[in-house]
Amino acid sequence: MEEVEETAGLLQKYASQVFAGLVAPALEGVQAVRATIEDVLAKEDVLLRMQEDLKRALEKPAAERRWVMVIDLRRCIGCHACTIACVAENNLPPGVVYRPVLSEEFGTYPNVTMRFLPRPCMQCDNPPCVPVCPVYATYKNEEGVVVVEYDQCIGCRYCITACPYAARTFDFGLTYLDETPEGDDLVLGRSRADEYERVGAFEYGELRRRKDRKTSPVGNVRKCHFCLHRLAEGMLPACVTTCIGRATYFGDANDPESLVADLIASPNVMRLKEDLGTEPRVYYLM
Amino acid sequence: MLKKLAYAFGTLALLVGAWGFYDRFAHGHENADYGSYVVWGLWVAMYLFFAGTAAGGFMIATLDHLFHLPLFKGVGRLALWGALVSLGAGLFSIWLDLGHLERVWKVYLQGNPGSVMFQMVWGYTLFGLIIAVSLFLAIKKPDSPWLRVLMGLGLGVALFVSGAVGALLGVNAARPFWHVGLFPVQFPVFSLASGAAMLLLILGLFAPRDDPQREQQLWVLGLLSVALLVVKLYFMWADYSQSIYGGIPMNVDAVNQVLFGKYWWAFWILQILIGSLIPLIVLVQPKLARHNGWAGWMGLLLLAGYAVARGLIIFPGLSVPELEQLTSSFGGPHLTFDYFPSLMEWAVTLGTIGLAVLGFLLGTEYLPLYAKELEA
Repeated sequence: MEEVEETAGLLQKYASQVFAGLVAPALEGVQAVRATIEDVLAKEDVLLRMQEDLKRALEKPAAERRWVMVIDLRRCIGCHACTIACVAENNLPPGVVYRPVLSEEFGTYPNVTMRFLPRPCMQCDNPPCVPVCPVYATYKNEEGVVVVEYDQCIGCRYCITACPYAARTFDFGLTYLDETPEGDDLVLGRSRADEYERVGAFEYGELRRRKDRKTSPVGNVRKCHFCLHRLAEGMLPACVTTCIGRATYFGDANDPESLVADLIASPNVMRLKEDLGTEPRVYYLM
Repeated sequence: MLKKLAYAFGTLALLVGAWGFYDRFAHGHENADYGSYVVWGLWVAMYLFFAGTAAGGFMIATLDHLFHLPLFKGVGRLALWGALVSLGAGLFSIWLDLGHLERVWKVYLQGNPGSVMFQMVWGYTLFGLIIAVSLFLAIKKPDSPWLRVLMGLGLGVALFVSGAVGALLGVNAARPFWHVGLFPVQFPVFSLASGAAMLLLILGLFAPRDDPQREQQLWVLGLLSVALLVVKLYFMWADYSQSIYGGIPMNVDAVNQVLFGKYWWAFWILQILIGSLIPLIVLVQPKLARHNGWAGWMGLLLLAGYAVARGLIIFPGLSVPELEQLTSSFGGPHLTFDYFPSLMEWAVTLGTIGLAVLGFLLGTEYLPLYAKELEA
């Protein structure tokens, strides 16, 4: 027994030194300590950090940026604020959603818990939705974001069938006040009350009013575009700024100083359905 | 009598369809039941069916105009006309399915050749032209060497376009139910099967009965139909059994939906019982298979079964969520994995069928499609 204790003590004393001796040469020049999100939060609000990152990224040529989104599933509280922010930002009609938060309850009472998975477009580097489009209406722009050219899209919906993440929806031309009564002179009826639905959005940097039920983007496939129109103005995507749990991070992964570059180097990072070879640009921290 | 009934059916179907067409053009896709999850519905299934039948009809026509089989002499023009009408119905059906049907020209002038859909659109356009010119030559200059050249070219294009339909679905790695390497091989077989069934229907119920070869033609077409049906059932067995044994959840869910889930009745009653077993039993009996009426009606049942089969490839492949909890996390119109065609979709399909039936009948009235008419 005494002999065993002696051996254990010896190992404790020298094993770490031996291990360090083996590993240290390989680590030469490598920054050993990476900031966790908790470290960053302790110093400053991540939004401020990301804003700085964004400012730096926008000074570079577009082709040199690599926008990525990182979502910390441990911090997501399932409030769906990002979903609603996205709907508001892009003035999405009924049946169109860019960023749902998939909520799953598991366990048996009383040991029940929930987990949440926000699902924006993955902006895949090898997007299955792009090559199937018969008219080049969807493609990766020079910043690597998969976009839809509304005036080019014929509405065949082939891209929706190709997306493994169900990240695309079709605009059927509905409004939230459909089937509500038309008002008389004294009452604000549908055709006046739904004016806010026709205001349109600045998607892709162009104001598109929903003037009728036929003009694009009605009849088109729509999807998350990382709020390109906001990025162009130096603003983070709506879902990022709205996240009350500070669970969604965004930035240029080509910038080694950026928060997202730090985060996607974490060992606990994963991407959805990696086996399909789509190379998503949305990373999840587990 | 049958022709009058067919005219009555076609007219009635077109009348019902008129409401569907109005709704489609006035309100776009609002009243359709397909959505953002089950994105392709009845019209896409009917497109696959009609276009496949057109390719199959053309293949049958080559027996007359390319291979010059004496037994099928005089059948080619009917088959070509059936193929042309069927292709028209298929393209009309898929055109209505587009979100922006006025932009279809973009596929021709600004298209992406790498897309299977682009290849199909170009392929079917070329195919339609080949059928039309072949039919013209078969009527006006049946001895022209160009007819044989066109039929040979058309046979290749028919195989290509029906294979492309398989590829259209098969390239989708995101959907294991469709991602079957043999789909582009299976679909030409399906097409030939529907083409043979169409000819059974036409020759059995609408062609003049005084052709001395008719009984033998029906018997051979019946046997061909049975053989192709068995091959088709074998393909299905292979796909389904491998899916279930393979155990990939998305795949197993899709197969279960067909066999035991929400589409069980369409599969067991419409496709297997009415569309497969009854025709199979009737057509292997020489006496019944040589009978105009029996053969014709069996052709109709086979066609109905193949149409249902197209739906049972499209809908289950889309009815399995790519990610769990999609529907429970964000609700809204057209965000569901439960699909059953809406009244408007049925009406449009009925109208398209009505157009096809009337178009075919009018062709038989005004075009010299039968052997004797041409000789006269």
